[in-house]
Amino acid sequence: MSDAAPMVLVSRVSQTFRRADGQKVRAVDDVSVQIPEGQFVCLLGPSGCGKTTLLQMVAGLLAPTQGEIRVAGQCVRGPAPERGMVFQKDSVFPWMRVIDNVEFGLKCRGVAKPERQAIARRYLAMVGLAAVERAWPRELSGGMLKRVAIATVFANGAAVLLLDEPFGALDYVTKRQLHDVLLTLWGAGASGGRRTVLFVTHDVDEALLLADRILVVHSGRIVDDMAIPAPRPRNSDSLLLPAMVANKHRLLAHLGLEVAPAVPVLAQ
Amino acid sequence: MMRRERWLSLGVLLLMAALWQGLSMLFRAEAVPGEPMVPGWQVLATRTLLSMADYWPGGFGVPGVVSGAARSYAAAGLAIVGNSLDTIVRLYTGLLLGGMLGSGLGLLVSWSRWTRRMVQGPLQFLRMLPLLAMVPLFQLWFGIDFIGKIMFVAYGVGVIFFAGVVNAVGNVPQIYIDNGLTLGASRLRLYRSVILPAIFPELRASVLLSLGTGWAAVLGAEYLGAQSGLGYIIVYSEQFGYLDRMMLMALLFILYASLSYAAFDALARRLLAWTPQTARGIVIE
Repeated sequence: MSDAAPMVLVSRVSQTFRRADGQKVRAVDDVSVQIPEGQFVCLLGPSGCGKTTLLQMVAGLLAPTQGEIRVAGQCVRGPAPERGMVFQKDSVFPWMRVIDNVEFGLKCRGVAKPERQAIARRYLAMVGLAAVERAWPRELSGGMLKRVAIATVFANGAAVLLLDEPFGALDYVTKRQLHDVLLTLWGAGASGGRRTVLFVTHDVDEALLLADRILVVHSGRIVDDMAIPAPRPRNSDSLLLPAMVANKHRLLAHLGLEVAPAVPVLAQ
Repeated sequence: MMRRERWLSLGVLLLMAALWQGLSMLFRAEAVPGEPMVPGWQVLATRTLLSMADYWPGGFGVPGVVSGAARSYAAAGLAIVGNSLDTIVRLYTGLLLGGMLGSGLGLLVSWSRWTRRMVQGPLQFLRMLPLLAMVPLFQLWFGIDFIGKIMFVAYGVGVIFFAGVVNAVGNVPQIYIDNGLTLGASRLRLYRSVILPAIFPELRASVLLSLGTGWAAVLGAEYLGAQSGLGYIIVYSEQFGYLDRMMLMALLFILYASLSYAAFDALARRLLAWTPQTARGIVIE
């Protein structure tokens, strides 16, 4: 897989904003990274480090000031359904019933009603919401709304899934349940195997539990690229493996929470 | 709880009616001899009601006063229904036309950021123009008959809808648009399935506002150059100092306005079943 073309190719991408006071801010600064198909990648960093901006550029919601992003060999120009996004805030359409939300992407692609209904029902069952398919979103809890959002992007068959701190606002128990939901769907795979995931978070434990690979972002740059080879399925015990503990120390050091051990900073 | 509130508002209405009666007994001044400035309920319910027969041109087997017949309650009733219908048809034709044109144009303009910016200035200008000052202009442009009146109502209402739609589209949370786009929605699909439903709660205020403006516009149009309708009866009454007839017209407006508000509210509640309770007008205590 490593010699095949990467699923996501970010080459020398920068994003410059002009703040209200007229000052230029480099939110993303000359970032290059390759992500092979099927890899679960976490982008980890303190708030304001540019990780969300990078994700939005891969989604096509924001055009890079410089550089180029390719997904499956195609240059990214605007949003497209093969790059599904789960947002930090609630994005479920409140004027559609739960099942209509899950069907929405399929409807956009012209999938016939019975077929898209069957697909939507299958994914709603997988996220544990089969019973509420006719409910209005206002009747659901925050965690359930996230399940709807996850079912929607998976049902839409996106090859690359972009998740922007999706569980940031949820309580610990709900968050852990949704990790399992997400990993189950990811592990179940589509016809072509596991999908590629980019998951933005500032939660070290979350990144260690989910990721194959963690990219640490700081001041608009990727400052570390760590492989997390711990076996799956992982649980809270996995975090106690010696390699995991070492990784956690390294990540906490990047976040400025611990005195830095000798960490090799990647040359860009 | 709801029932108690209903009794309360009924009580307030009755109190207002009683106050009016008290005023009519206190102030006995007359506009012209025999025409009280503050007509009491006993005048409104008898002489005023019967005087409506004057506005019945005859028909349905009930002869009009103009053709020599005496005033009758049948003719009065027909006159009220006929003139009300004239005004209501003018109002709703204008509302429909203005609502459709205004919102259609608003959606078209909100298609891109540039067109939105282009109309910002002219839109403020249009909203500033006092509506009633435009009546003579519309009469000269479109004539004093049916077309002139509905065009005037449509203009007054259209501006409200246009501004309402442009603002509401600008207020649609970006996250819903982003969500639609990343799921693969085309521009047209985005408008149909995301923007239209998203702006509807905000547009409800525009509809209510336009109902009020629509009434003002249709009456304004009828003040100047109409041969029928509630506005025509008001102007006619003013010339002779018939304050009681003007009061009766005001009562009819209240009745019709309340009915149309109630009908729209019922429709909006159904269409907005998805919104949280508070947005549907239920007050938290």
